Amino acid sequence: MTSAAAAAGWKEPFHPERSLIRHVWKLLRLQLAITWSTFRAARLRRKIGTIIVALLVLIFAGAVFAGSWLLLGLLRSPELAQILAEQNQPSLTPFLETVPVLILAGSFLGILLTSFGVLLSALYLSGDLDFLMAAPVPIRAVFVAKQLQAILPNFGFIALFGLPVLFGLGASGGYNLLYYPMVVIVLALLALAAAGASSLLVMGVARIFPPRRVAEVIGAVGAIFSIICSQSGNFINAMRLDEQNLGPDQIPFAAITRFNAAWNPLSWPGRGLVELGEARILPALFFLGITIALTGGLFLLSLQVAERVYYSGWASMQAGGRKKRTAPKVRHPGAVPAGTAAPVRTGAAAAFFAEFIPQPVMGMIRKDLLTLRRDPRNMGQLITPLIVGFMYLFIIFRPGGLPLEGRGEAPDWFMQLIETGMMYSNIGISLFVGWSLISRLGMMGFSQEGKNYWMLKTAPVGPVRLLMGKLLVAYLPGLVMSSLLMVIISLVRGVSIPVLLFGLAVVALSIVGAAGINVAFGVVGVNLTWDDPRKMNPGLSGCFSMLLSFLYMGVSVVLFFGPPMLLSAFGLPELAGQVIGLLLGGAFSLGCAVISLGLVKNRVPRIGES
Amino acid sequence: MSASSPLIETSHLVKKFGEKLAVNDVTFTVNAGEVFGFLGPNGAGKTTTIKAIVGLLRPTSGTVSVAGYDVQLQPMQAKAASGFVPDTPNLYMKLSARELLRFVGDLYELKREKVEERSDELLRLFDLTDARDDLIDSYSHGMKQKIALAAALIHDPKVLVLDEPTVGLDPKSARLIKDMLRQLADRGAAVFLSTHILEIAERMCDRIGIIDRGNLIAVGTMEQLRASGAGERSLEDIFLSLTGGAEEAAIAEVLK
Repeated sequence: MTSAAAAAGWKEPFHPERSLIRHVWKLLRLQLAITWSTFRAARLRRKIGTIIVALLVLIFAGAVFAGSWLLLGLLRSPELAQILAEQNQPSLTPFLETVPVLILAGSFLGILLTSFGVLLSALYLSGDLDFLMAAPVPIRAVFVAKQLQAILPNFGFIALFGLPVLFGLGASGGYNLLYYPMVVIVLALLALAAAGASSLLVMGVARIFPPRRVAEVIGAVGAIFSIICSQSGNFINAMRLDEQNLGPDQIPFAAITRFNAAWNPLSWPGRGLVELGEARILPALFFLGITIALTGGLFLLSLQVAERVYYSGWASMQAGGRKKRTAPKVRHPGAVPAGTAAPVRTGAAAAFFAEFIPQPVMGMIRKDLLTLRRDPRNMGQLITPLIVGFMYLFIIFRPGGLPLEGRGEAPDWFMQLIETGMMYSNIGISLFVGWSLISRLGMMGFSQEGKNYWMLKTAPVGPVRLLMGKLLVAYLPGLVMSSLLMVIISLVRGVSIPVLLFGLAVVALSIVGAAGINVAFGVVGVNLTWDDPRKMNPGLSGCFSMLLSFLYMGVSVVLFFGPPMLLSAFGLPELAGQVIGLLLGGAFSLGCAVISLGLVKNRVPRIGES
Repeated sequence: MSASSPLIETSHLVKKFGEKLAVNDVTFTVNAGEVFGFLGPNGAGKTTTIKAIVGLLRPTSGTVSVAGYDVQLQPMQAKAASGFVPDTPNLYMKLSARELLRFVGDLYELKREKVEERSDELLRLFDLTDARDDLIDSYSHGMKQKIALAAALIHDPKVLVLDEPTVGLDPKSARLIKDMLRQLADRGAAVFLSTHILEIAERMCDRIGIIDRGNLIAVGTMEQLRASGAGERSLEDIFLSLTGGAEEAAIAEVLK
C-alpha cells in the first residue's frame, strides 16, 4: 500500500488479477450476461422461437455432417474410382484433398471481411471502450475480449457449416484421430489471426474516415452485395452461362484444385490437416507448424500494435485533410454575407408542387428526400428493391418479349388478347419496379423519423397532413422511377404514343393505392427506437403490408388492363376500354389509398407515446 | 394577453404508465412574462409533465392548456404557440442547421423570407453561422443543443418549454441561453424549464415548482419557499429538505 493511499484511508489495497485469461473471461462473462438477460426478458413466444431455431440449427449441423460423411464416402469409394478410371475420367482425390483447403481459406477470408464491421462497432461505436480501459483491467485483455466478441458470431456460423464437412471428410477417409482436435485448433487460430488483421485495418480506416461514416458505407455496400449475391443465380440463369461450352481447363474441379498449390499460404492449413489425417507426419508438422506460427504471430503482433496505436491516441485521431461534410450551399448571383437573408433555392418542380401542397407537407417531403439520399444505410435499403426489380426486368426482357411464333389452333380473339397483353406487360414491369420501391418507402415512412419524431409531434401539423406527407414521400420517387422506366421500355419496344400515355396514367394512379396501403401499415407497425436504419423495419406488419399491397397490385392491374384487352379482343375500340380501365382502376386505387389511410388516421396522434 | 395571464395551465394532471403513477394530480400555472423552474430528483416526473405540456404524451386524466388552448382538444393551436427543447437534442443528423431551421419553418407555416431572416439571426446569436451548412452529424453536443434551441425559437413562441437546457453547454453558451430566456420572459413569453442546476433556478426563475415521486410538493417564489420551510435559506437546502437528501450517516456508511 502506498503512503498516499494509506493517508487517504484505504484499508484494503487493491490486488489486481494477474491472469490475462481471467480478465478476458470477466469481460466475456459480461457479454454472456447481457445475452442471457435479453433472452430472459424476451416474450415467451420469442423464447420458444429461439429454442426451436437453436434446435433446428443443431439438427442442420448434424445433417451436414451425415451428408458429408456419406457423400465424401461415396466419392472416395474404390468402386467410383474404378468407374472413373474405366471412363478415362480424372481421379477425385485431388478435389477431395482441396475441400479442407477451401473451407479453411474461406473461413479466414470470411472472418477477415465480416469482422471488420463488427470490430468497427466494438472499438469505435459501442462507446464502452474508454470505460473498460479506465477500469483496472489490462488493455490487452480488453482488446482480446473485443476481438473475441467480434469473431465469435461469425466463427460460430462458419464452424456450424465448416466443421461438419471437415469432420465428415475425416470420418469418410478414416483419418487419424489427431485430425479432429487439430481442425478445431486451426480454425480457431485462423479466426483469431483474421480478427487481429481486421482490427488493424479498422484502426487504419478510422484514422482516415469518421467511423460512423464507415459503418454507414459498410451497411450500404453489405446490403447491395448481399442482394446481388442472392440474385446471382437468377442472373446466371438468365445469361444462360450454364449452357455455354466450357473448355477442359475451365472445368470447376480443375480451377478448384489449382488453388491447392504449395506456394499459396492460404492452402497451408488445409494441406497440413490432410497430411495429418493421412498420417504423413513430416509434411503435416511442416504445414501445421508454419500455420500455427504465422496465425499465432499475426494475432499477437496485431494485438500489440492495436494496443499501442489506440493507447497512443493515433487510432482515434483523424488524419488531416479530411473534408468536412457539408450540405450544398445556396448559390445565387452576388455573394450573401453571413447574417443576411439568403434567397431560398427552389426548383421549378418544387415550386409547382408548392402551389398545391401545404407548406408543412412540402417541408416533410424535402426533409425526407434529403435525409434518405444522404444516409447510405437508407440507400442500401432502397437499392434492394430496385436491384430485384431490375433483375426481374432483365429476365423478362431477355426473350425479346414478342408473341410466340406460330398460332396453332388459337382463335383470332385469343391471339389479339395475347398481343394486347404483351403490349401492356411493359406497364406491368414499370409497376412492379415502382411497387418494390414504394413498399419500402411507405413502410419506413414514420419509422424513419426515429428519435427525431418529437419534432413532428410537437409541431402544429395534424394527422391528415402527416399522412399526406408520408404518402407523397413514398409515392413521388416511385412515380418518377416507374414513369422513367415506362418511357425507356416504350422507346426500346417501339410502343405507340397512346399506349405510352395510357401506361403513364395507369402508373400514376395504380401506385397511389400501393403507397397508401404501405404507409398505413407503416403507421400500425411504427418503430421509433432503432439505432440503425436497417433495423427499423416493422416485422409482422411489414409482411402483411407486402402481401396485401402485392394483392392490391394484382387486382389493380386486372381492373386497368382488363377492359382494353377484352374490348380489343372482340374488335371493339381499345380507347374506350382504356378509358373504362382508367375509371375502374383509378377509383379502386384512390379508394384503397383513402380507406387504408383513413383506417389509421386516429392512430397517428398516438405515435411515439408507448 | 396581459403580462400576468396564464400561458401554461395544468389542472389535476395525472399520467400513469401501466400501474406506475408517474405524475399525480399536478396543478400549476405559468404566467406570461414569467420564468418557471421545475425541479425534482431523478425519476420524479419532470420530463413526463413536460411531455404532456408539449403534446408528446396524452395525460391519463386532467388537462393541460397552452396559451389558452387545451393541448388535447386544440393541439394545433397549442403547438403553434409553443417551442420545445428536449433534454437530448435528437435532430435530423443528415440535415444542415440551415436546412433544419427551414424545415421547422415549414412545419410552422412561416413565410420563407421570415424563416431565412430568423435563421440568420439565430445562427449568428448562437455562433453557428460558420457551421450553418455543415451536417448536424458533425456537431458537438453543445452545438446540437444550441440548434435545438434555435429551432424552438424560430417561430417566436409565446411559450417556451425546455428540459435541462444547459446540460453540456460551455459557460459562455449557458450564460447566453440564460440571458435569452430572461429576455424572452421580459418580452411577455412564458418560459418553463426543468433543471438540476439549482443555482440557475435560484437566480433565473421567478417561481419554482418542486416535484417528487409524481407529486408537486411546493410551488412559489424563492421567498414563499423559504417562508414555508424550516428556516432553510438556499434553494439547495429547501430542495433537499423537501425531497429528502442523503443523510450524513448514510454517506459515512458508503464511504467508510
